[in-house]
Amino acid sequence: MKFPFSLICLLLGVTLPVTQVSGSVTLLETHCFKCHNDEKSKGKFKIADLGSEPTDDNFERWLDCLDLVRVEDMPPEDESKLTSTDRKQLVTYLEQKIKSFETVRVTSRPRRMNNLEFANSVRDALLLEDVGTHFPLANLVGDSRHHGFDTHGETLGMSRFHLESYVEAIRNILDATLKRGKKPEAKRYRISAAGIEKGNVAGAKSRHASVKYRDFSDPRDPYVLKKLRRIPKTGRYRITIKATGVDRTLYDTKDTGFHHADPIQLKIQMGDREHLVDLPDEEAMDIKLDEWLTAGTELKFWHETDAFRMLHNGSFKHQRAIAGAYLKKADPAAFQRIFDQQKSLQKRFPTRTADHSVFWRNVWHGARPRLFSVDIEGPLFESWPPKRQVALLGENPTVEQALEILKPIAERAWRRAATDDELMPMVALVEEHVERVGIVDAYKEGILGVLLSPAFLILDGEDLSASDRFASKLSFFLEATIPPAGLREQVAKGKMASFESVRQELRRRIDTGKAEALIEEFPYSWLKLADINFMAPDPDRYPFYDRKQVGEDMVNEALAFFRHIVENNRPVTELISANYSFVNADLARIYRLEGVPEDSKLRQYTFTDGRRGGLLGMGAFLTSTADTQTTSPIHRAVYVMENLMGIHPSPPPPDIEITEPDVRNAKTIREVLAAHTKDTSCAACHASIDPWGFAFENFAPTGAWRDDYREFGNITMPDKQMRPMLGSVKPVDASARFRNGTSYSDIKEFKQLMMSDANRDRFVRCFISKLLTYANGEEPIANFAEIDQILAKSAENEYRIVDTIAAVADSPLFRGE
Amino acid sequence: MGGAMALPSLECLGGAAEASKTRCLIVANPLGMHPGYFFPKTFGKNFDLPLSLRSLNWLKDRLSIFSHTDHKMVNGHGREVAFLNGILPKDAGSFPEKNVSFDQLMARQSGSEVRFPSINAALRDGIQMSWTANGVKDAVITDPQRLFNHLFSNPSAREKTKQLDLIDRNDSVLDKVADQFALLEKSASRFDHERLDQYQTSVREFEKVLENRRQWIGKDKPTFDISGHYANLEPTLLQDYNAIFDMVTYAFETDLTRVATVAFPRTVDYTAIGPVTRSYHSCTHNGKVATITAELVAIETFQIEQLSRCLQKMDSIQEPNGEGSMLDNTIVLFGSGMGYGGTHSCRNLPIMVAGGGFKHLGHVDAAKGGKNMPLCNLFVTLLQRFGLEVDSFNTSTGNFDLRYS
Repeated sequence: MKFPFSLICLLLGVTLPVTQVSGSVTLLETHCFKCHNDEKSKGKFKIADLGSEPTDDNFERWLDCLDLVRVEDMPPEDESKLTSTDRKQLVTYLEQKIKSFETVRVTSRPRRMNNLEFANSVRDALLLEDVGTHFPLANLVGDSRHHGFDTHGETLGMSRFHLESYVEAIRNILDATLKRGKKPEAKRYRISAAGIEKGNVAGAKSRHASVKYRDFSDPRDPYVLKKLRRIPKTGRYRITIKATGVDRTLYDTKDTGFHHADPIQLKIQMGDREHLVDLPDEEAMDIKLDEWLTAGTELKFWHETDAFRMLHNGSFKHQRAIAGAYLKKADPAAFQRIFDQQKSLQKRFPTRTADHSVFWRNVWHGARPRLFSVDIEGPLFESWPPKRQVALLGENPTVEQALEILKPIAERAWRRAATDDELMPMVALVEEHVERVGIVDAYKEGILGVLLSPAFLILDGEDLSASDRFASKLSFFLEATIPPAGLREQVAKGKMASFESVRQELRRRIDTGKAEALIEEFPYSWLKLADINFMAPDPDRYPFYDRKQVGEDMVNEALAFFRHIVENNRPVTELISANYSFVNADLARIYRLEGVPEDSKLRQYTFTDGRRGGLLGMGAFLTSTADTQTTSPIHRAVYVMENLMGIHPSPPPPDIEITEPDVRNAKTIREVLAAHTKDTSCAACHASIDPWGFAFENFAPTGAWRDDYREFGNITMPDKQMRPMLGSVKPVDASARFRNGTSYSDIKEFKQLMMSDANRDRFVRCFISKLLTYANGEEPIANFAEIDQILAKSAENEYRIVDTIAAVADSPLFRGE
Repeated sequence: MGGAMALPSLECLGGAAEASKTRCLIVANPLGMHPGYFFPKTFGKNFDLPLSLRSLNWLKDRLSIFSHTDHKMVNGHGREVAFLNGILPKDAGSFPEKNVSFDQLMARQSGSEVRFPSINAALRDGIQMSWTANGVKDAVITDPQRLFNHLFSNPSAREKTKQLDLIDRNDSVLDKVADQFALLEKSASRFDHERLDQYQTSVREFEKVLENRRQWIGKDKPTFDISGHYANLEPTLLQDYNAIFDMVTYAFETDLTRVATVAFPRTVDYTAIGPVTRSYHSCTHNGKVATITAELVAIETFQIEQLSRCLQKMDSIQEPNGEGSMLDNTIVLFGSGMGYGGTHSCRNLPIMVAGGGFKHLGHVDAAKGGKNMPLCNLFVTLLQRFGLEVDSFNTSTGNFDLRYS
């Protein structure tokens, strides 16, 4: 238990010498008032805004002041000089004023589960391996993200549409889980190659009725089993697929985009469950699966690859030209024979030449999976009723047992003890329906009631005790689901009361793969990775990025990097300072790296040029913040400020007219943005924004390095307005000067500046705030002092990331009071 | 759809068909319109139709195109969600009915008389522009087949019994959940109340919907055939939108609903149209390159052509039990919550009103004293035309003088 803050502050107030306070006020007047008075109010700020004390309305102003004075951004060096003693005094004054205002309040506001949390929680409440393979959640209302976060209370409201979609989803899941009647007979389906067909064309006829195998050509087409498109009955199925990969390295990578060191991958899709299998070359293998499948599950097979879209607009039909070109070299006689034959068949287009894809439809030999047969047996049951049903309802459930049967389900789902009183309405549901629909279906109604309760759907409600809430929050934080068996009891016994115990638990969870939400969902939200293609690089100018879907690799790069930092407990600061990242052959082509193996696997790569490494050199950041044709230092600056430094630049005034970017003229972005320094009303804010973005000007919209703006005049599309701009090559200037006088000449120096003591603290503090936002569903705005404590704990532990996360989870801001 | 359609029977619960009612159709996109190809060069009734609007030539004398209206929002994406209410979700808290959109006020007015208070149709992700008074978004149906089933498919007798049974069971679950809720609520403090209130409202509204559905289930929906649009296995964008607009038109004609929105979302693939090779959003950021701008204008022209085709159809249909054409009794609003994507501008929104029996004004300069008119002023007028007795709506400062006969 901590002292209430007001009490601490009262003590501080007593010990703070009066002269120091008045001294600080004098400092404000001497050094700040010149620009921030009632008439001038530069940057839309005047000293009078602060009043005499922080209030609800001006609190963020106080925080801004503290941040800017502390990092020596204010006062600007050319306006006024503040000695370091004076600065220290002013910082102390501002800090104490801010702390005196704060009170620890309930930090997480109750919110609805998001759809991922809903799927996981229903699964775990019902003790299933997943919610079913028949897309039971297909009609849930989509979640929107709030500043990247899909765990944010702002966007997780509840409506009747949500409620209705929950009812439908839960019914779908229960109907597939709880079965009545006799055990269904198992059947065996032996399907030969002739029974495998393309799945997107209804009634398509295969060319040959008796074939020994089925080759996949177009990777965008699914293949299905003619007689078994959907699983007929729910149960366990034994599946054997005989398959191989063929012609893995026949065609050139530069034509196909298929890396020769990559395996041919077969994607086996069973509804919303997928398996990827690496196929051996030219040697049939038996893929054996044992799966619980729901009635109605669609079975589909795909060639999983991002290749074969390099020619033309990427459509597969154009890729067939590769087959012709290959044949011309490999077997000129056959080439001529097929061409003559096809030419006579296709008289309608006499002008088409041999490089047209239309002639080579039947000779495609690109890397592809080959299926020989599929053998499926099921539904199989070890016992009847199935084990999963017995686990929930027991062997022979009766109405009288309703309370005892529903209670454990409710306690898992509601993440707390459930009283008999609360369960009576659910028991009543079972009683009400049993006569008409039978005992099993009656229990479905009772369980639906349990899962529709706000105690399930709404997180962090106050119906939870402090220890239950901590167990619940920790579970959603780490795994986006309800607490695992035993956790609530452990927490209640005080086993997670200390920083050390939380740290150990975290370590254990990470090592055993039980913190995947933290490792995947958190960085996805924090780094706004969902936005990667919001303004995708122009497909005509950057065809490689478009055709090989490099955006996905970029997202995976960021996730792999974050995972590495967490799994190895590296310092949080390494997210910025690292000289390494994770790349594959496609990223290597964009980043222009040597010595990266020719495949799609992400591997750690150390950069020696000081330009890349860490988040700031990643395509995920550089691409998502660029426009389609050009880069925007402002977008990049705002991203760095808001997501990495925790600074919130004020939005442009609403009546500003923004000039539309014009890539036809030969102005560099710096020339375009000159207005930001010339116009004093712009300059007030932009002087503190733009320096955060210019450092990245050496990175093109795809994140590729550039030394000059040659590409301004080099658009490949035919456009009469575009003149060839010989002599218009302008060098990139990636230097800038911050308001406090520090400056950098390029990204290398910028990264060093980012690791100054002041900036390091800003970054770690921002990271902590983002974790809290993710965990609490709300930004920790008025919690300056508590975040300071977490920061101190992090620093004590050399900023190691697991220790920092543990400090967050251990803080009152996470636990709540 | 069949050409020789018998006069459709009006949907209603009360037996005898009532007098004609005003309807409202809203068509919107999230990225605005290229101003050079949307706003006419001159004001007044005597103007030349800009390129994007050429397909509306037949309706030229019965249009009002508004220059200089907006919601006074900071420029940038994400404002499309506020097109119909003028309030961003984050600011909803300070308004009595949150960020309710004006179409939902209309839907509330006419909702009890029709089977569906409102319909939101689109493809892909849709646009979240309809908001209830509870501050949550109204669901968008993004699959034409689902829209069809929703509007027109009649269940078999067995299916009906099953549906009624499901309604009963859901009703009884809601009932019991409400019992349990009452226990929870007792212990809730003020922090919990906001979410719990939303939950409770959701339960109540769901119950109402179930009650409404129970009543309608016995009555057959009007029959309709859209198979003509779906002769191919892979429907094109054109076929999808033709089908959507036809369904909405017929839903109006048969009084299934009186309020509908149709959206052209950012995520829709327009590459089937003429010169378009890239994403809609990329086309707005064209850097003034002529070929890319041409792609954008092609997309915008396509949207207006779809609208025009729909309006032409409505205009050819005699208002059931009323005067004039259906179009004369249908308020049509086209526009966007963004001005122009190329500049991220949210000033000077592209706004056009047609139909509704208004005495249309051609190209209107809505600015007063150099300031843009709050778009909500126009919405007040549309609400009044719909029959609501209001003199303000969200951020309005008055109404706009658009007379109707």
